[in-house]
Amino acid sequence: MISRELCQRVLQKAVSTGADYAEIFAENTNNHNVFMIAGKVDSVKDTVVAGAAVRVYKGLRSVMATTVDTSESGLLRCAEKAADALGQGEAQIDIVLKERLFGDIHPVREVPSSVTNARKVEILKEGYFAAKEYDTAIQQVTGNLLDVDHNILIATSEGLYTQDRQIRTRIAVSAVADKGDGAQTGSCNPGRRMGLEMFDFIQPKNVGIHAAKQALTMAGAGYCPAGVMSVAIDNGFGGVIFHEACGHSLEASSVAYGRSQFAGKLGEKIANEKVTAIDDGTIANSWGSINIDDEGTPSQRNVLIEKGVLKSYMVDKFNGRRMGMPSTGNARRQSYAYTPTSRMTNTFIAPGEDKNEDIIASIEYGLYAKEMGGGSVNPVTGEFNFSVNEGYMIRNGKICEPVRGASLVGKGSEVIRNIDMVGTDLDMGQGMCGSSSGSVPTNVGQPLIRVSTITVGGR
Amino acid sequence: MDFQGFKKAVIAKCEALGIADYELYYQSAESTSVSAFQHSIHQFTSSIEGGVCFRCIWNGKMGYASTEALSEAEASAVVERAVDNASVLEAEEQVFLGEGGKTYQALPEETREMPATDALIAKVLETQEQIYQADAAVVDGSSTQGIAERSETAIFNSRGLDLYSQGVLTGLVVAAVVTDGKEKTNDYQIKLAPIEDIDTEELTKKAAQTALSKLGGEVAPTGQYPVVFDPEAMSDLLSAFSGIFSSEAAQKGLSKLAGQEGKVIAGENITLIDDPFWKDAPMKRNFDAEGSPVYTKKVVENGKLNTLLYNLKTAAVAGKETTGNASKAGYAASVGISPFTFYLQPGDITEEELLQAAGNGVYINSLSGLHAGADAISGDFSLQSAGFMIENGEKTTAVKSFTVAGNFYELLGSIRSIASNLEMPGMGRFGAPSVLVDGLSVAGK
Repeated sequence: MISRELCQRVLQKAVSTGADYAEIFAENTNNHNVFMIAGKVDSVKDTVVAGAAVRVYKGLRSVMATTVDTSESGLLRCAEKAADALGQGEAQIDIVLKERLFGDIHPVREVPSSVTNARKVEILKEGYFAAKEYDTAIQQVTGNLLDVDHNILIATSEGLYTQDRQIRTRIAVSAVADKGDGAQTGSCNPGRRMGLEMFDFIQPKNVGIHAAKQALTMAGAGYCPAGVMSVAIDNGFGGVIFHEACGHSLEASSVAYGRSQFAGKLGEKIANEKVTAIDDGTIANSWGSINIDDEGTPSQRNVLIEKGVLKSYMVDKFNGRRMGMPSTGNARRQSYAYTPTSRMTNTFIAPGEDKNEDIIASIEYGLYAKEMGGGSVNPVTGEFNFSVNEGYMIRNGKICEPVRGASLVGKGSEVIRNIDMVGTDLDMGQGMCGSSSGSVPTNVGQPLIRVSTITVGGR
Repeated sequence: MDFQGFKKAVIAKCEALGIADYELYYQSAESTSVSAFQHSIHQFTSSIEGGVCFRCIWNGKMGYASTEALSEAEASAVVERAVDNASVLEAEEQVFLGEGGKTYQALPEETREMPATDALIAKVLETQEQIYQADAAVVDGSSTQGIAERSETAIFNSRGLDLYSQGVLTGLVVAAVVTDGKEKTNDYQIKLAPIEDIDTEELTKKAAQTALSKLGGEVAPTGQYPVVFDPEAMSDLLSAFSGIFSSEAAQKGLSKLAGQEGKVIAGENITLIDDPFWKDAPMKRNFDAEGSPVYTKKVVENGKLNTLLYNLKTAAVAGKETTGNASKAGYAASVGISPFTFYLQPGDITEEELLQAAGNGVYINSLSGLHAGADAISGDFSLQSAGFMIENGEKTTAVKSFTVAGNFYELLGSIRSIASNLEMPGMGRFGAPSVLVDGLSVAGK
């Protein structure tokens, strides 16, 4: 990509009006997506995203300029634009860059660009037709096989010059079933920070069957009753409850500006003592993992909440200035075109000691949320929502009939106090998290948990 | 290399490979964004972005490849990748490129310039001060963002299409955070208009007052109620379910409206209009993503589904003409279908009269989580809501943290009354007046 020598000159230009910090982020990314519908390969798309952003800080002000022109003149113009927007002044820093390599803990055996379209189609079809042919009530199936080869270069006025390559692969199958009382959807979308060897560990067929089974279960279900009840949320993507109810409010982008329910609460007990929550971007080959964040800080394992006590926020360099805190390696951006900010990586509630059967048996009347869908939160108030993709009623400590159309709403600061049982089997689910710096891959996770009381939306 | 140079290189490559049918879709934008926190500008962004989507017909299939790197090497690579991608396709529908020589509705020439950066900064700082002045309860965390973008779109193909459009989009986003000392709450207001035309006092007052109205809100009691959706909430619902009007969804069995054209699908009071030339649309273009002319149409008229929305491919499958609704979610996306400015035709009573008609019920002015809690295939929704209780025809207690659940297909038939207060909130693509719906499920305390 861009040479160290050129980066040095671009950064020197960027700090020419008195910035106290400058950064170049350049990328070259190939996104590839095979899509199937109605039993046929319907489209194949690939997109090259290529460009660069120059950021400068002065105190608590930041300026970013981006460009698709990564030639020498294009980059220098971009730096000049950023410097000019910062104001008038003189250079305070001399830029000397040293190349540094942070290493890669995510081995990739089959780089997506070296695998033919024909092979990708074969993998997708295995998953697709496993869903399609599972039952005659399956009316439609869609399937996607996505791979991303994301190459980034970061150079900063602190002397860092480094590169990283992030490869991800994901399969997504969605099945629609109708048994005569309305179409219902089931889905399954596993992804990993690895190449096509992902399918040595995850059988596409099982992905299709999972989606089909869920659709069929929901197609036979009645509507979830509405009201306040106890809810058991299963592991894997169930972890979206922590992600929405709490995680976003622990991001510096909310905390630094007083727009978080948890601002100023470090060291305080904010959750039930059964809750220990961690954000860990260093798990090998995990969907939300990064070697370095998008400001060049190595990713780390951050304990956010330990036995109910708030221990850490997720912090990026710029917002960290306002908070007086160092970066925790959480700066992320969808691409060079977005201003990076603090985001989650792999975020999960750590395993506890409650047995799964005890958790279910403890609920006299409530909901068992086997699989969750997406959700959203307002970090200022902590009010969140998410949908339940596959739910069952619990009566007298037993899982009973499936129910459709359920959603959970509440307030983050209340719900994490109400997580009063935590199981032992941690599992993660994959998602794309959307926020001001775009859409980034994140894992959510937890063991089976009990929320003693929460509002269940239904009818 | 600029787009013209890239285009030439692509044409040469197509000729060398014997590709007769091809198209280039180019989109680029130059934008500025300024954000204020407390009493100064804390973030400034100036971006140039853009890319080209190349597609071609190869053995009867449409291959796509896109790039932001406009170079001689990429011009060649993008054609090769599109051919490679086309070679594994199986869909049997015939594929089309738009034909040249069509007549397009004339649009006034775009004469607006990007606002000067200094003017944008001044407007943002002035607005930021007005938020603090709007109410004593306003606290730090409130922010103002100013945005300005010049974008251009070009479509060039081997069938004689050579279209170009450009436009300038400007606006303000105001976020007010308020507190009563016990809790904090907030509200956002977006206004897209020429910067100098925006009434910032009205905008900041609205943000502050809406935020204030949420303070101390109670959880609504669970039950079945008549529900009034305000223009913003109803527009959000319409937006979340607009995909059911796509002929592609219908043809693939993902919309219940398949086979319903010409039939009654909604109450007689429902007329839904798609208007690409809506007077206040932030960006107008007289061609769609395939270069077909666009026009205004009543998709649903007095409850009857006149037409679904079509592009060239789905129109051919149905034996119809395209309705000019081909769309792309970004330059690199494949061609899909969507409305332009899609709105529910207003009725002739005031919102006060609508509340009177409701008697006792729930007024909803905020819906969240539409990407997760609204299922376009079944029509079911179960959504986080906020608003007020309605008692004896008046808005009373603020309520929040409850859900409203129902089914959009059923809702189209159970809207009892429609007010006259049509609004196009947010990005201005979907609009509705306030509506009164009978018998929706509310889950709260």
